[in-house]
Amino acid sequence: MKGTNLGEFQELVLLTIGVLYPEAYGVGIKEEILAKTGRKVTLSTVHAALNRMEKKGLISSDFGEATSIRGGKRKRYFTITAYGLKTLSETRAQRDLLWNAIPEQVFQVNWQV
Amino acid sequence: MSQRLSSHKPPRIPQRFLRWYCKPELLEDIEGDIEEDFNKRYQRIGVRSARLFYWLDVIRFFRPFAIRNLFKTQKFNTMFSINTKIALRNMSKHKTYSFINISGLAMGIAACLIISHYVLFELSFDKQFANSDSLYRVHTTYFQKGNDLGTDMHCGFGLGEALRRDIPEFENVSLVHPYYGGAIVSAVADSIGLLPIQEHHLLFAEPTFIEMFSLEFVAGDPASALNDPKSIVISASMAEKYYANEVDMPIGKTLRVVGRWGDTGDFIISGIIKDFPDNSHLQFDFLMPLENVLRDSQYGSEDAAWGWSNFQLYTQLIPQTTEELVEAKIKNLMRTYIAEDLERNSEDQQLSIQSISELHLQSEAGNEGGNMNTVYFMIIIAAFILVIAWINFINLSTAKAAERGREIGVKKAMGALRKQLVAQFLVESFWLNLLAIALGVLLAYLVLPRLGIIIGEDFRLDFSEPVMLIILLVLIFVGPLLAGAYPAFFMSGFETTRSLKGDQKLSSKGRIQLRKVLVVFQFVISTLMIVGTYAVSEQLRFVRVQNTGIDMGRILVIKGPTLNRKFSAYEKFRNETTALAAVEEFTTSRSIPGAGYNWTTEMYKDGEERSTRKGVSVTWVDANFFNTYEIEMASGRDFSNPITEAEDVMIANGVIVNEASLEIFDLGSPEDALNEKLVLSGTTIHIRGVMKDHNWKSLHNEISPSLFLYTKANNEYFSVRMNLQNANETIDQIMEYYESNFPGNPLEFHFLDDFFDKQYKSDRQFGQIFNGFALFAILTSCLGLFGLTAFSILQKTKEIGIRKVLGAKMSHITFLFSRNYLILIVIANVLAIPIAYYGINYWLQNFAFAIPVTVKLFLIPLILLVLISLMTIAFQTIKVARTSPVKNLRTE
Repeated sequence: MKGTNLGEFQELVLLTIGVLYPEAYGVGIKEEILAKTGRKVTLSTVHAALNRMEKKGLISSDFGEATSIRGGKRKRYFTITAYGLKTLSETRAQRDLLWNAIPEQVFQVNWQV
Repeated sequence: MSQRLSSHKPPRIPQRFLRWYCKPELLEDIEGDIEEDFNKRYQRIGVRSARLFYWLDVIRFFRPFAIRNLFKTQKFNTMFSINTKIALRNMSKHKTYSFINISGLAMGIAACLIISHYVLFELSFDKQFANSDSLYRVHTTYFQKGNDLGTDMHCGFGLGEALRRDIPEFENVSLVHPYYGGAIVSAVADSIGLLPIQEHHLLFAEPTFIEMFSLEFVAGDPASALNDPKSIVISASMAEKYYANEVDMPIGKTLRVVGRWGDTGDFIISGIIKDFPDNSHLQFDFLMPLENVLRDSQYGSEDAAWGWSNFQLYTQLIPQTTEELVEAKIKNLMRTYIAEDLERNSEDQQLSIQSISELHLQSEAGNEGGNMNTVYFMIIIAAFILVIAWINFINLSTAKAAERGREIGVKKAMGALRKQLVAQFLVESFWLNLLAIALGVLLAYLVLPRLGIIIGEDFRLDFSEPVMLIILLVLIFVGPLLAGAYPAFFMSGFETTRSLKGDQKLSSKGRIQLRKVLVVFQFVISTLMIVGTYAVSEQLRFVRVQNTGIDMGRILVIKGPTLNRKFSAYEKFRNETTALAAVEEFTTSRSIPGAGYNWTTEMYKDGEERSTRKGVSVTWVDANFFNTYEIEMASGRDFSNPITEAEDVMIANGVIVNEASLEIFDLGSPEDALNEKLVLSGTTIHIRGVMKDHNWKSLHNEISPSLFLYTKANNEYFSVRMNLQNANETIDQIMEYYESNFPGNPLEFHFLDDFFDKQYKSDRQFGQIFNGFALFAILTSCLGLFGLTAFSILQKTKEIGIRKVLGAKMSHITFLFSRNYLILIVIANVLAIPIAYYGINYWLQNFAFAIPVTVKLFLIPLILLVLISLMTIAFQTIKVARTSPVKNLRTE
């Protein structure tokens, strides 16, 4: 893995975990993504991303309470680690850098189309 | 979650599947999430959808991050390698056994692979075009007074324009016109035609054809390639054939096409396409603009647009419509265009369309080749052969069980679990199968090209085809289980103490029964195959020797000239040829037996209603035809001494009808018929004679009403009846005359019997394929029988020794040990005969002239089969019976 670059979907999940703090878990993340971005993602995709990011150390998890809707299984809550936060802000800094570097004319030209 | 949601039971099967594959540390979280989603959906969209989504979710989670290690690696690998070692040792210890087992299975697998390839090829027809799904051909169904007269793929060229104009559901429409009879093609350099070659696959088509059939251009512009009436598009292999020495693509070069259709002469090559696929019902090497053939004078006449049904019509539907909708729209379209004609003749014509992907095997148009039943038949044979091979495997493995009783006993005594023994035998079966598959693939790889030669296709074993790959994977993974499961469970079930004692009667009564059932099943299939093979070869022999009413062996047929055909040259050629000592007679005609009729039209007896007219086939022959072909007359005269001075010589000379016409046209006896007149396609003509019936077409067809019309001479076919002594010299001489009188024409000649037999090509192919697989089936069955007797006799070595000591004769012992198997074979025969009887009858229905299904048809192959199996058994028994009893009794 080169540098700490996040995939686009991973970044989305990571941000959502932040939004839902401290109660970010699989189904919740999925629904939040749908509500905020309108993107329909499958549970398995979310889990795959969570699994991958936990391995990278970007997030950590703990088991929470069990509910009947889950057939008595406990939820696993995810939180962003310090390393995760650092990566996230680095990603944002990269974006900002690039955004700021776009010349003013670009926006004008494009809006005319 | 503030909302109160109750919990429901998720579906069991996916839940268990999830619990099986999921990593334990992830399971609780994943299962909980899926179940939460399930319960929410349950509220929102109902049970069924929720359950479906549960399934989908579980399947979606089946991906690497969530799947645990499904094989307990360490233990699994050790056991596998130990079992492998045991299996390989066992194989090399019993070499004959392994050889029989593996080679039998390999043959079965090879046959199965070969047939699969063939079947896939047959099914792949016309599916490769980008638009395959939306391409349809237009068919016409003819009715007379409400009677269905059959469906045909031909139409008049008026229909193309009509559909284009009236039916918006057709995105594209292209008429095509085959180059009936072929043409002579030569490359032109400096306005001189080079070596002329007879070509058969030429096609006229409209420019839309290129897009519809997604022709791939190697050179030239697809958009304009067929715009000029004098342009021609050729295939890459034709470019190679006619311009072998050129480096550049021959675009813009001139090709001379001379034949009977359209504006013949020089064409400019406007495009070169990749060869049109072999697996298409359409075959062409040269594509010419339809506009060119429409310049033909016969298509210029007033009613030509609907009168000449020489065209075929391909259409492409727009995506928004369906076959049914379009068919409903076009069904009665003909009534708007030729209403008067239909009315007058109390006829009807209905249009329909059929997807091109069905045309090869399931064409709705009558008498078009290809048959879905053959494909089904092949699939059944493939399955049978594979089953025979697996049965062999099961039989041989269980037969060997007695020998391995001690090994199993020792293992069990040491504490081996039944599960472990089963695993051991399955691994053994896996290796035997794997070797057999490797051998089978090799065999198929070698044999397949040969099969391709028989069928005339380029066949090569190809596992890039997904279906072939799936078949191979099934063979590798399912095969060992299917074939190995029974022996594995059977052998691992031995009782420890009894097997340690070396009890000979390990295989209890019930199990022997199963083995016998399997042997019977094998021989049922073998019997079917051998009886079938015999029947097919008998019928093919019958059609060869059957008296067709014409002595075909002595008639040499020469294809007449297309180029430089002056009448004086013909006369000179005729005179030179008839002057040869070996030449008895010479005649010309527009067709010959086996080449079809010239014209199919309608006719009725003069004085009757026009509506009584029926179909009749017409051929033009010259004055000497009856002499040359020795067709006998039932009454009247043949065409010798014809009238040569008349307004219309053809009509003045009258017609000669065959006997089959008499009843159908109500002409009475052959003598009565001479007083009648016929109205042939509107022209009244008298009957000059009645000829005896003969087979003008293959024996698949009944002898239908046909008649001959007189022509002074015709350049289509020259027939020579000759004396067969020094035949080669005579033929050489005739060819020399031909070349000097008709320079530039390719030489094409053959004896009539060879030509006539070409009509049975597909029957012969069927016979050859059947032969091959019958051999496979019998060989595998015999291998199985061989193995089985070998083992049962090995077990009874001592018994044989004792019998010999007590004075039994060798013949007696041989009989004693063969008897059991003979009974099995007899049972198999009894079971197989009714099936074979039905099958043979079904196949013979293809022929109008068929051999009777007699006892002989079954008896000969059965005796053969019994003899072969007897030899297999006796080979073993005699060997043991001949050894000295001392040797046999000493073995311990």
